[in-house]
Amino acid sequence: MPPNKLESRKVITDSVYLRPWIKQMAKDCYRQNKEIARPIRNAVPKLKNVDHNNLGSNTAILRNKRHFMRITKFYKVENYVIHASIRDCKPILSRRYKDDVPLNAIDKFQKILLDTEEESSVVPPCITHNGIQYLFVQHNDIYIVALATSLATNIAEIFTFMHKMMDILSDYLKTVEEESIRDNFVIVYELLDEMMDFGIPQVTETKMLKKYITQKSFKLVRAAKKKRNAARPPSELTNSVSWRAEGIKYKKNEAFLDIIESINMLITQKGKVLRSEILGSVKVKSRLSGMPDLKLGINDRGIFTKYLDGNNIGVPMDESEISSSKGNESSITSGGSSKNKTNIELEDLKFHQCVRLSKFENEKIITFIPPDGDFELMNYRLNTMIKPLIWCDMKVKVHSKSRIEIFCNAKAQIKKKSVATNVEIIIPVPDDADSPTFRYSHGKIKYVPEQSAIVWKIHTFPGGKEYAMSAELQLPSINDGEEPKFKRPVQVKFQIPYFTTSGIQVRYLKINEPKLQYKSYPWVRYITQNGDDYTIRLS
Amino acid sequence: MAPLDKKIKKFLKNSIRIAPKISDKGELAELRTGLVSQYPQTRKDAIKQTIKQMTLGKDVSTLFPDVLKNIATNDIEQKKLVYLYVMNYAETHPELCILVVNTFVTDAQDPNPLIRCMAIRTMSMIRVDKILEYIETPLRKTLQDDNPYVRKTAVICVAKLFQVNKILCIELGVLEDLSYSLSDENPMVIANAIASLNEIYSLDETAVKLPELISRHVDKFLNALNECTEWARITILTALSEYQAKDTMDANNIITRVKAHLQHVNPAVVLATIKVIIKNMNYMDAGQQTELIQKKISSALVSLMSTPPELQYVALKNIRIILEKYPEILTKELRIFYIKFNDPLYVKLEKVEILIRLVDPSNLKQCTLLLNELKEYSMEFEPEFVSRCILGLSQLGIKYSNEKFIQKVLDILIELVESGQNSINDGCCIAMCNLLRHCPTNASMSKSICSLLNSWSSPVTLLQQDSAKCNYIWLMGEYPQYFSTLGDKINEFVENFTGESTLTQTSLLITVVKLHNTLEGSVLQNVLELATHETSEVDVRDMAMIYWRCLSIDDSSALVSQLCNLHAPVIDSTIDKFTPEVLEKLLGQLGTISSIYFTPMDDSMRKKLQHQNIIKGKHLDELQDLAKNELENKTNDDILLDFDSESVNTAANQTQNNNLLGDLDDLFDFGTSSSTTNGNSSTGSAAEGISQLSLGNNNSDKTSGTADSNTQDLLNLF
Repeated sequence: MPPNKLESRKVITDSVYLRPWIKQMAKDCYRQNKEIARPIRNAVPKLKNVDHNNLGSNTAILRNKRHFMRITKFYKVENYVIHASIRDCKPILSRRYKDDVPLNAIDKFQKILLDTEEESSVVPPCITHNGIQYLFVQHNDIYIVALATSLATNIAEIFTFMHKMMDILSDYLKTVEEESIRDNFVIVYELLDEMMDFGIPQVTETKMLKKYITQKSFKLVRAAKKKRNAARPPSELTNSVSWRAEGIKYKKNEAFLDIIESINMLITQKGKVLRSEILGSVKVKSRLSGMPDLKLGINDRGIFTKYLDGNNIGVPMDESEISSSKGNESSITSGGSSKNKTNIELEDLKFHQCVRLSKFENEKIITFIPPDGDFELMNYRLNTMIKPLIWCDMKVKVHSKSRIEIFCNAKAQIKKKSVATNVEIIIPVPDDADSPTFRYSHGKIKYVPEQSAIVWKIHTFPGGKEYAMSAELQLPSINDGEEPKFKRPVQVKFQIPYFTTSGIQVRYLKINEPKLQYKSYPWVRYITQNGDDYTIRLS
Repeated sequence: MAPLDKKIKKFLKNSIRIAPKISDKGELAELRTGLVSQYPQTRKDAIKQTIKQMTLGKDVSTLFPDVLKNIATNDIEQKKLVYLYVMNYAETHPELCILVVNTFVTDAQDPNPLIRCMAIRTMSMIRVDKILEYIETPLRKTLQDDNPYVRKTAVICVAKLFQVNKILCIELGVLEDLSYSLSDENPMVIANAIASLNEIYSLDETAVKLPELISRHVDKFLNALNECTEWARITILTALSEYQAKDTMDANNIITRVKAHLQHVNPAVVLATIKVIIKNMNYMDAGQQTELIQKKISSALVSLMSTPPELQYVALKNIRIILEKYPEILTKELRIFYIKFNDPLYVKLEKVEILIRLVDPSNLKQCTLLLNELKEYSMEFEPEFVSRCILGLSQLGIKYSNEKFIQKVLDILIELVESGQNSINDGCCIAMCNLLRHCPTNASMSKSICSLLNSWSSPVTLLQQDSAKCNYIWLMGEYPQYFSTLGDKINEFVENFTGESTLTQTSLLITVVKLHNTLEGSVLQNVLELATHETSEVDVRDMAMIYWRCLSIDDSSALVSQLCNLHAPVIDSTIDKFTPEVLEKLLGQLGTISSIYFTPMDDSMRKKLQHQNIIKGKHLDELQDLAKNELENKTNDDILLDFDSESVNTAANQTQNNNLLGDLDDLFDFGTSSSTTNGNSSTGSAAEGISQLSLGNNNSDKTSGTADSNTQDLLNLF
């Protein structure tokens, strides 16, 4: 595209932050002392117009990370690892795994990235320059960059690896930023060496890495057990169970299951659902001794029948019923009266590497030896049409050059006994709106000028209830004659505990440790929440 | 048991730290004092400091001997630090490393596997022959080590050694040992051995017989697959995708064994699995089973849409390739590819590509849904996205190919233009002209489009893109009767003639010739002169020459009227397609960088790549310039030779030469050398465009028709 520029966004100056506050003060004052005359809106002085040509003081620019923040880049590759800072354009840290990339290639990354950004606002995560592929992933203000020379490089693997690496660094350093990397560069080097060799990813299980990455924590271990003088790669590392060490011990053996369903939904203003999906995730926190073998039963018909061509549905079903009715001391059995009705079909099951995929493929049983601690056991996606759980009936009236009125009627369309908590409805308003006034029955409303939105928070929202609000914002009387634009959708955030939209239920979780034979306690929790894209379109 | 006070003394000595003395000799001297201190803790701190300086980019190589003294220690942490230091300077100061060679050899026999690994890993990376002489025994030993962790490191060292010194590596015969490792009992060792062999194979195909090795170990691989880490699975699956199944049974078996991995949580594993399955699906007959597998692939692909944006991007690009082979694979999943408002721009653009390709042209409901969706997107802010969506609207209209539906599309486009956003004019102009070229007989449509575009007072300044200008000019030539101020508009374009690109110049030339009867004044003469004298583009110049001659021949009226009455061919689709060969190659390279650029690697490119690597990337800039210059000179020579003969062939030649030059540019971008087919292949239609163009030049009668019909396609190329 030729240099088409977007109009620079108009943003209110800081003084607007004060405005609701002044009003509140005045209101309080009024309440306490009724004799004082009601403050008139006009008493609040008019804002000065902002000079948008002066970009330096434009808050939109200041807020835009690209414009001035220090971008630190970090590493990796098929051949190379980098942390660079865009401001002083030096990598924080880099690791060369192969020498087919020239040493100075990474120093050019900053320039290449900026050039690409200048040329077009489409910046794909891989850029070619001089025969070198720059693949990068951004994390806060750090870039992880991988350099490769061959087009045959497996790009999916590299991106996955870079994300994984970020997870691991976060595990080690808590927050991953330039300072923390510089402070711990020895660990980072060591990690990089263990995670990848000659451009081939090796070990990326944090639990296992911690066993033999020596820096810092190593000293403590040594003080405790002086005899065992050195860290060695744990033998499990290269076993078929590479994610769990032997000899783990807990006093109380427990396993916690969290079933979290995130709802993504796109709804038109009229209430028509354009797209909806459920992204489910089963997270496990395992605090179990030894090498326990777990068996998970859920009420998913898909698991038992989906791939069996339908001719022998009966057989595996029976099995599931038998095992759930057998449910012994270490299994959860949920009330199965309507068992057959509640069976649901999960699509796109994805399992953690600890799950025996072939066992699942052939026998449809989820069995696994869990890693210690927290991990995501499986995730799934359901592509069914569901009605909106929290529905907002929006009406927006724009009186050009004077004000905008917003009415919102929110309804919790969930079971009466369920309660949605932490509901947040984020309604976009034009960038240059100010002086908001609100009327509402429940919750709290705040105007957040830096997001150009008003946020309506409702702490608890019982099923079947309907709450309403209305807002009025002033628009500047002088503008360039264009209709104010705020074509962003309304976003809704919420959580509904003890409830899953898909109806998935855990039937049993059997824990069996052949050697130790301990008593164990499985727990399960359910929660439904918004996904990152639960939006209502304003037309 | 040492007496207590001795123990205490030792403990104190070990943990004591001396603050570095501030000396006036500078930092290096300070570090040096630290490094030779009698207190271990102080020495360790000093090593850390040294490495920190190294990381910051300071040259601390002078400390090498002092750091080295610390390598003989039982403290594994300290040892690691020293190795880190050595590894760093091994690249830049290989001569210094000779000092450590003995330590390496001893460490390679250390009881601690971690140290054995470090020693062998470091040794194989140092490019000094003296050191490499010592590597034989340690490498052989570690390849047979009891500990799989050591073995898995050692197999990679073979590839490193091969890269550093190929001849030695072959002489030592470790390549055979490496091949034996494919039968190792440990899956991780197997995976690394494959990776290592693959690396060697890509450096020199004669060194190892990789395809043969793979086919001999297929069963072994399939067994190992279920027991190793996610990364090892990727490596093994990639190797399996290189394997040619013997027959249907064999292929079937492989699919059955790998398909469980479609449900792995790691997206790279999923993609690698899909690659294996697709390769083997060729052997199977269409039937229930294939359908079932396609269904599984489909849901695996969909699940890739809930990964981080970078991976979505990779997935979307790959889906585009897969869709071309199996168009029916995702038809039910259209909604998945709807744009989310917080998607990054590059993902949004790719999603539109997929949506357009995915939509089923026999399903009105789906098409209408998508139409509304695209309309919604066209009102977003980002100009790149909006213009892609506008183009998408026209692609959708053409795909559904129904006058009523196209009318609907047109209404939306008109509405968009009237909304007054300047930035979308380009897109709308192109989109409308495309629609018009799909149904050229629809009079009401052409009228409404022309009257709308006619209302623009100064299209020259309003339109930015070349292709938009081309389309506008084409429209004026095709429907002059609907333009009220035709002469003024054309004059305006002519004034800018020299500043325009080749494409615009060409289309202007064609249109002016076409309209020469109706245009007033000396416009035709003017343009012909400009095109022959003022432009450096040989294409334009030659075309102008031909026209000029045609026009100036006596009783040429029949020829001229034939020239003027040519129409651009009807277009059936504006969606880019791969040529079958390219598609097959790309399918074999799913998940790689070439699948992102749609530029398949072939074996000859691989070899050339190695050569380039040998010349070393540093000088790539100069080399590139050099090569380009040379080619340019050559091209010019060609022209000089042919110049006098003024034949039509010159033009054709020239096009190809230009084309070659363009390719060269592209290819250098990818770090590979030229092979003419590759640049073209990335956009199938562009290649077609070229062949048509040269055809057109050979046959002057056709010139006007084909040349401008392909203006847009050509854009892709240049």
